[in-house]
Amino acid sequence: MNARVVIAEDAVLFRAGLARLIEDHGHRVCAAVGDGDALLAAVAEHEPDVVVADIRMPPTHTDEGLRAALEIRRQRPSTGVLVLSQYIETKYTARLLEGNAAGAGYLLKERVADVAEFADALERVAAGGTALDREVVGQLLRASRRGDGLAALTGRERHVLALMAEGRSNAAIAGALVVTGGTVEKHVANIFDKLGLPPDEADNRRVLAVLRYLGS
Amino acid sequence: MGIPVTTPAADPRPAGRPRVKSPWAAARAAAAAPFTRREGRELLFCLAGLPFAVVNPLALFLLATDLIWLVAGNGRGNPSPAAVAIAGACLGLLLVLVVSTKAARGLGSLQRGLAARLLGVRVAEPPPVRRSPGGLAWPGPGPRDGAGWRVVAYSLAKLPVGLIELFAVSLWAGGLVNLSYPLWWGAFRNHPPGVRLSPVPVFTPFGWFDEGTFRVATLPGTFAAAAAGAAMLLAAPWVTRAVTSADAWLIRGLLGPGRLAQRVHDLELSRALAVDDTAALLRRLERNLHDGAQIRLATLAMNLGMAREKLGDSGEVPDPAAVRELVDAALRGAKDALGELRSLARGIYPPVLDHGLADALTSLAADNAIQVEREVSIPVRPTPAIETIAYFCAAELLANAAKHSFANKITIQVTGQRDVLLLSVTDDGTGGADPARGTGLSGLAQRVAVVDGQLTIASPPGGPTKITVELPLRA
Repeated sequence: MNARVVIAEDAVLFRAGLARLIEDHGHRVCAAVGDGDALLAAVAEHEPDVVVADIRMPPTHTDEGLRAALEIRRQRPSTGVLVLSQYIETKYTARLLEGNAAGAGYLLKERVADVAEFADALERVAAGGTALDREVVGQLLRASRRGDGLAALTGRERHVLALMAEGRSNAAIAGALVVTGGTVEKHVANIFDKLGLPPDEADNRRVLAVLRYLGS
Repeated sequence: MGIPVTTPAADPRPAGRPRVKSPWAAARAAAAAPFTRREGRELLFCLAGLPFAVVNPLALFLLATDLIWLVAGNGRGNPSPAAVAIAGACLGLLLVLVVSTKAARGLGSLQRGLAARLLGVRVAEPPPVRRSPGGLAWPGPGPRDGAGWRVVAYSLAKLPVGLIELFAVSLWAGGLVNLSYPLWWGAFRNHPPGVRLSPVPVFTPFGWFDEGTFRVATLPGTFAAAAAGAAMLLAAPWVTRAVTSADAWLIRGLLGPGRLAQRVHDLELSRALAVDDTAALLRRLERNLHDGAQIRLATLAMNLGMAREKLGDSGEVPDPAAVRELVDAALRGAKDALGELRSLARGIYPPVLDHGLADALTSLAADNAIQVEREVSIPVRPTPAIETIAYFCAAELLANAAKHSFANKITIQVTGQRDVLLLSVTDDGTGGADPARGTGLSGLAQRVAVVDGQLTIASPPGGPTKITVELPLRA
């Protein structure tokens, strides 16, 4: 796939590296900007497939990247939005996904070190999928009050659940666990059965179902 | 208490006590003393205090006893012990009521207002009564209000003071009357010869009528009266000054917040400053890490990740130049991150401080752009907290001087005296440093206040600037 990307990041060196990484993977960086307003302008101008935005940018250094991302999701639902941050806040996850996990991602900045994985996440979001940091999922799992339901899962199933929550497809999960697609499908069916969730085929909808289950 | 920044100003000298230069000047000053505005205000204060001397627990007690005695015994014989006891109980009840309602505090605030307006003695209001939650909803401060009872104590102490104030007023009035004798002698004693007139009494500090006075019956005698009046008028300001000073002392001691309450208030304030300071420090630290070392390390990891990807899993490397470039960038990033972390760590606590303030100041001075002279003599080593505060004050003051003063030379002086550490930074720059502008100096003053220290700024426009920080040796 060949995606058109807009980057918003205030740290200049990191922004340059990010642009290079993305171009190395065959995508095109239309614009690389340094704050939320410039991001909105660049998106209006270039109509990219996906946006990579730092959450904390000038002028207030709080969450202007996230606010710009939400605005983009509202105005152009077809644009994928991948936000990066140096910390994981589950509250930001909730704000970003709010009822729709399609074309949204939230990763720790340091994940860019695993270049291939990061590129995969970017492509997933560009294609309308979901990419949640394993830290987000881990926090949700740790904080979840559904201890009883989760205790019913086997270790392998918990692993599959986590990967599912990160937004990965069955094929990707199979690749990560080095098992066949059929095995993963069986695990997924078991998980939905044990947690009492209605099965869903679409990856991003099942992310939402799992997150809702963990958060409720 | 505000933040203890003091800017030394010309000391307002008492009007009646100018610096003595020659006996003649002193005599002139003494003669002029009664006619300054300040004397007038003090006299007014003495007059305004009269109601306090009358409405007084002791006076009220006597009044109540007399009333009961009149009502119960028709004023015959002596008041019975029962009457005295009833009067005492009534007075006690009245006082409790006065303290419990806002009346006592109101009286105190009235007197504080008078002292502020007329004597220029500003005394802070006592802190409001702290209520335990769930207590009765009583509109006043309640019967256990220490500030209210101190107002009662003041009004008792005011009785003798008020009488002396009355005496001071009488000195003024009597002096003026005496001084006027020669003037009206001719006008009113213009009588046909042969008429014998009774002599007129002359007031003295020892009495107005009869005893203590002397009488004059002739015109030359009136000049003796005028001389007595002049002497009284010359003495009056000093008596007024003395008695109003005593009153001001009482007001400070009894109508103010109380030493303990003031201390608590000061400590609460400095604690709040310390907490704010810590919070701001942590926020700055997080920001520095987030925007500095953290993002540098993320960039470094990204460059290494890209290099690793380009190296492939085995065999030939298709683009070794690109890999080399990425590794170079990563190396640079690592060095930058290290430098950033080092300066951040040094900003949190400079390790050189372990060897004492003198060494730390040497290294600080060496880093400064402008030449810095040092005079350091610290016989007793302060506690680490004080050393740290002194160090950061010095760093900030040096940076300020370098940034704003256009100075050619900066002198930093540190001396330890008994239990105080004095640090002063002097520059020969343009002066005009003002804690009201910018946050640097007021921030320093806050930090110094936390350990009961003080920051003094002397920076006239045109320079030189001398900023002194006074810290306790232990905190």
